[in-house]
Amino acid sequence: MIESSPAVQAAVQGQLGESMKSGSGKAFDRKNRLLFYNSTFKVVCICSAIFVCLILFSILIFMFRTGVLTFKTVPLTTFLFSTDWSPETETYGAFVFIFGTFALTALTLLFSVPLSVFVAVFLAEMAPKWLRNLLRPILDLLVGIPSVVYGFLGLTLLLPKLRDWAQVDLSDGILAGAIVLSIMILPTISRISDDSISAVPQKYRDASYALGATRFHTIVRVVLPSARSGILYAVILGMARAIGETMAIVMVIGNTPQLANALFKPTSVLTSNIVMQIPNVPFDSTWNYALYMMGFLLLFISLLMIVVIRLLQRKGASR
Amino acid sequence: MKWFKSLSVAAMALAIVTTGVSSANAASSLSGSIVINGSSALLPLTLQAKSEFQKLNPKVKISASSAGSVTGPQAVRKGIAQIGACDWDATKDVPGFKAFEGQIATPVAVIPFAAIVNSDVKVNNLTTQQLKDIFSGKIKNWKDVGGDDADIVIVNRAFGSGTRVNFQLKALEGGSIVSTGSNVKTVKSSGEMKTNVETTSGAIGYEALAYVAGSKMKALSINGVAPTEANIINGKYKVWSYGYYMTKGQPTGVTKAFIDYIRSAKFQNGSLKKLKFIPLSAIK
Repeated sequence: MIESSPAVQAAVQGQLGESMKSGSGKAFDRKNRLLFYNSTFKVVCICSAIFVCLILFSILIFMFRTGVLTFKTVPLTTFLFSTDWSPETETYGAFVFIFGTFALTALTLLFSVPLSVFVAVFLAEMAPKWLRNLLRPILDLLVGIPSVVYGFLGLTLLLPKLRDWAQVDLSDGILAGAIVLSIMILPTISRISDDSISAVPQKYRDASYALGATRFHTIVRVVLPSARSGILYAVILGMARAIGETMAIVMVIGNTPQLANALFKPTSVLTSNIVMQIPNVPFDSTWNYALYMMGFLLLFISLLMIVVIRLLQRKGASR
Repeated sequence: MKWFKSLSVAAMALAIVTTGVSSANAASSLSGSIVINGSSALLPLTLQAKSEFQKLNPKVKISASSAGSVTGPQAVRKGIAQIGACDWDATKDVPGFKAFEGQIATPVAVIPFAAIVNSDVKVNNLTTQQLKDIFSGKIKNWKDVGGDDADIVIVNRAFGSGTRVNFQLKALEGGSIVSTGSNVKTVKSSGEMKTNVETTSGAIGYEALAYVAGSKMKALSINGVAPTEANIINGKYKVWSYGYYMTKGQPTGVTKAFIDYIRSAKFQNGSLKKLKFIPLSAIK
């Protein structure tokens, strides 16, 4: 508390009033400066937000506007459900790629989700502290490895191994793709699951142990269900990464437009087909438009994923 | 911040003075800018010519990039680029691509191509008919062409690749290339073709000859003629093509000067040979 006599207060007020009137003095400068900073900061924030939205929407609109030209010559049902993709004879059925994308993603999740959750449980529940502090940065580092490195290792190490093991001529296909993708998204899923398992309050575990449950029971019946929404979030993030992955996949999938009805059969997915063909297409051709449409389809699937994540988050928060 | 200002002013002044001096020293008064796009096979050549040409003519700005062969003539048609590099003569129809009207194709180099196989394949020579049967999927086992009993694995370049267009035209005489089957795969680039043929047993593919030297794969003789520079020059080996620069109408000004430079005897017999292309003058 600063006590001041009325006389001093009046003097201070007088001084302040004077400086405001004359437009000089420290107090006036400071007030104006703060006002200026405040409003500038606000404008910059709003502009950034608008800028990002603008970019996203222009990409969406551009992809759709170009892609939709496909349907001038190709019927929608042919594009979505025909398995015949041969640009040299003007037939554009993208079903092979759509099916390939979903099959590859499903197989990837089948491999990577159990493994990543085990890794996460080990990290959060069992590992001693020093090991945990060592493993977490390693997993973070794995997330940052460029995907083309994974693809190259898949091409030079995994494919020959698979070929010898399965006794086939070519081991390219969804199995090789799924193995490479699983390794790629494993750190993503396990780190986020790890965080959400660690966030489960200690008192839940204590209560479970107090009731006589074993560690296995505690983890499976108490900890994992409590961390469920976080683990789901991790799985969907990993899935989104798997769906959009291009460079690693294009090197091990075989890039042959035929339905992936076997594990070892060269096939193609949406991303790999786009990156293979986009450098070689004539600009104003149905072929080009069809590739754009496939890009839009991919974007649409990713957006769908994000919406699902948001819904899950909201559900998790309300619980 | 004052020191920073004065520093930047000084740097700017220095920059102006040096540019003034260097342009005053320049022997050539040629100026302008050229944009080059198109074939990735020709890019090393273009980049080499660019750096040499810019040393002689510092006022000329050249930007060169590459995608697929067909982007070259397309960029020229759209006016994005002055020169479009293309592995085939885009003024004529080739399988899958229509001719580009109103463009001029100027050959700048000779690119040799070869059919290549994994080193475990015992076959050293194929006839044109055998090659056609293999790539159209009729022959599926190496024993049918005199090799071991092993399945043939076909490694393709993507439809529209310049290497594929030329191989199909010259080695397969326009014959078809099979696109589906469990023994067929497609790769994105020449480098990837090399890795795949080197590591896949029983594989056959096709490649610009520059990539074969020093690799673990084997280049096949076609109809008994080995793919060597000597055989191309004496006319026995047919699987080669000119690399072209496409322009809208006859090249003029800076563009013409650049094309003249890349076709000059000095460049053709020097840098171009070093990059494993064959000079234009070698072909009669």
